[in-house]
Amino acid sequence: MGMVDPPHGPLTPSVFAILLALAEGDKHGYAIMKEARTPQGGGVEMGPGTLYGTLDRLMRDGLVEETGVTDDERRRYYRLKGRGRAVIAAELERLRNALEQGRALGLLAHGGRS
Amino acid sequence: MSAASSQVAWLYERALRLYPRPFQDRYAEPMSRALRDALADRSLPRPKFFRVLLRDFFTSLVKEHFAMLRETYSRPALIFNALVLAGISTVLALALYVIPQQVLRTGADDPQIQLATDAAARIENGAVPPEVAKGNVDITRSLAPFVIVYNDRGQVLASTAQFHGQTPAPPAGIFDYVRTHGEERVTWQPERGVRIASVIERVNGSHAGFVLAGRSLREVQARIDHVQNLAGLTWLGMLGMILLGSLAFGWMTRRKTVATAV
Repeated sequence: MGMVDPPHGPLTPSVFAILLALAEGDKHGYAIMKEARTPQGGGVEMGPGTLYGTLDRLMRDGLVEETGVTDDERRRYYRLKGRGRAVIAAELERLRNALEQGRALGLLAHGGRS
Repeated sequence: MSAASSQVAWLYERALRLYPRPFQDRYAEPMSRALRDALADRSLPRPKFFRVLLRDFFTSLVKEHFAMLRETYSRPALIFNALVLAGISTVLALALYVIPQQVLRTGADDPQIQLATDAAARIENGAVPPEVAKGNVDITRSLAPFVIVYNDRGQVLASTAQFHGQTPAPPAGIFDYVRTHGEERVTWQPERGVRIASVIERVNGSHAGFVLAGRSLREVQARIDHVQNLAGLTWLGMLGMILLGSLAFGWMTRRKTVATAV
């Protein structure tokens, strides 16, 4: 799988949800899955297979890294790297532009959260 | 955790063994941990979660295996080597076909060369055409060589060849060529399935004309077809060996840590 450069998109739903979840702070696997499920986290239902497959690729691409910290339940924690932050920021910017276009076309109500 | 949840976790941990080994080594434990966390989460609707878990397991299983295969076999050096070997094999197989094919085909002209030159020499020395062309050869069935003698205008003077009761007509323009070049060797096909290898010699002197000696290529063609089949089988065999060798080499030299697909 190739590298994901900040100017390019769109991200897959899993990548988007994981990066967004980690933008909030370091998290372990289930915490990422749980955050991704919420509407504000992307509303992405994923299981452990998709989560760790995606995390593996993101780590290889240098977007995410393991913190090296494990808690007393031996959970591994992951954090967003600078490059990952740039990628999710670029994706959000892309979505914001699309959202504005949707509003301009009357597909969405004006005056929503911004 | 309830007994049912414990059973699900137990089953999931065993099912994780179906993932590619490098992926298992890295992620089986955190995946199992994440599942146990999910099962312990009372806010999670069970039926929906189990559906997601089942779908996720099978889709990610397929993805990880494909990712492993891609990582193992999509290396440029491996593909380049396989393509170079396939190219060499193709050239060798072509040579294996072309060389014997040419030897067989050119060798098929030998009796006609002898017949045509001998007949032309005899006519030049005073023999009459019916003496030179004696006998009867049905070119649709017989493998025997035949002789046709023509005058200088290309009209048949004598012939041993029979093609549906008539003397077969050679390709147009052949006599003009032989008149200037002395000899021509040509393969022609009076009808589908009947191919004739012929040699046409110029007859000089007071009885100027042409002698055509020919014979059916049926048996020679069968041998050429056999050579073609052998070359084709050899080519496929070599490609198969290259494929198996590349797969084995790719597997032996694969990365121990395999990246995954999203």
